[in-house]
Amino acid sequence: MFTLEEDKAYKPDRSDTRTFLDLISNHSLYTLEEELRKGFITVPGGHRIGLSGRTVLSGGRVEHIRDISGFNVRIAKEIQGAANEMMPYLYDVKEKRMRHTLILSPPQHGKTTLLRDIARQISRGGSLIADPPPQGIKVGIIDERSEIAGSLHGVPSFDVGPRTDVMDACPKAEGMMMMIRSMSPDVLIVDEIGREEDAEAVTEALHAGITVIASAHGSGPEELRNRPAMRRLMEERMFEMYVILHRSGGRTSFRLLDRQMRGLQLRMKGEAYHA
Amino acid sequence: MLKLLGAVLILLSGTLAGFHQAARFAARPKQIRELILAMQRLETEISYGFTPLPDAFSKMAEQLGEPLRPLFKRAAHYMASSGITAQESIQRSLQENWKRTAMKTPERDILHQLSFTLGTSDRQDQIKHIALAAQQLKHEEAMARDEQAKYEKISRSLGLLIGALIVILIF
Repeated sequence: MFTLEEDKAYKPDRSDTRTFLDLISNHSLYTLEEELRKGFITVPGGHRIGLSGRTVLSGGRVEHIRDISGFNVRIAKEIQGAANEMMPYLYDVKEKRMRHTLILSPPQHGKTTLLRDIARQISRGGSLIADPPPQGIKVGIIDERSEIAGSLHGVPSFDVGPRTDVMDACPKAEGMMMMIRSMSPDVLIVDEIGREEDAEAVTEALHAGITVIASAHGSGPEELRNRPAMRRLMEERMFEMYVILHRSGGRTSFRLLDRQMRGLQLRMKGEAYHA
Repeated sequence: MLKLLGAVLILLSGTLAGFHQAARFAARPKQIRELILAMQRLETEISYGFTPLPDAFSKMAEQLGEPLRPLFKRAAHYMASSGITAQESIQRSLQENWKRTAMKTPERDILHQLSFTLGTSDRQDQIKHIALAAQQLKHEEAMARDEQAKYEKISRSLGLLIGALIVILIF
């Protein structure tokens, strides 16, 4: 049971953390060197466990975490239909394709959940997107943190749609280029872009005629301008649609901005889903 | 007549016991050698294959013969079931299956030691620990060979002789 009183709380000791680490690493910490460098591991089911402890440096970069003592477990939740209300706005009826979209929100607002559902819906097609219902199209997910698809041994544990390819645990920029070259996707889906090379890969994809639906940290477009890579993408008007999530009182709602950052009037208030 | 039959039986069982003991002396270095090879395979699985420990253990079990196979198979089985650490899995399996082997306490201690570190550190560290265990096992193997040379034949004839002694004492 959870409690707020300190003396009633269960205090895990060193052997508890060791057992927990042993179990979440499938008894094989040595297979997770890259993950330890990044500070989190993804376990079957797409749940992410952040780690803290004493870091080991090599050449000024974090190489390893030892004496791991803190865990932060993020339970992945699949909400089918999370993107229902948004789908019509993301589809370009005239050109019959998805719009280049950037989803913006602070952490914990359901970006990943949303991306997963968007992937599922466009890969399957259907009447929720537009009328007449478009056919499903090929979707490529670059899932650097194994969070969107929650892949285990290469098989997604969430429903990401029938025409979806997942590049699991692959660096975003490289993964996007690999997908473009090898899997001929119509839509690329990436989570949490922000670095210079991500922006380059996005530009590359857009020039290749592939729709990119991405997410980024940030509570609004103003924040994006502070990041050089993202600012360039904005100034070059790469994205046609910006979705901004915000949350109040347990409900998540969204705002849409067009490529010039003008707010779009929604036909109804975008009450996207309960998160 | 009945006495004669009894005497033959005693002689026979004495001889068999002697042969059994001798076979254990002969089997021990062989099994240690197998264990060393298994360690080297584990090292490869970890350093090149990045194979998770349960999978590596199952693979090793498949390649090993009796009586070493159950040792690894059970450990892999325990690891795959929920809530048991690698250390506990290996130690439980040692406890259950060690009696079936011809190996003795020193080898068991080496594996017991290894169970504390297996799977809990990065690759380099793992490889060092496994190499250390293999090194120690090699040492035990040499000792076991010495013992084999000394006692294998003796225990074979000793069985027959003890049987004969009992027969003489009874009559």
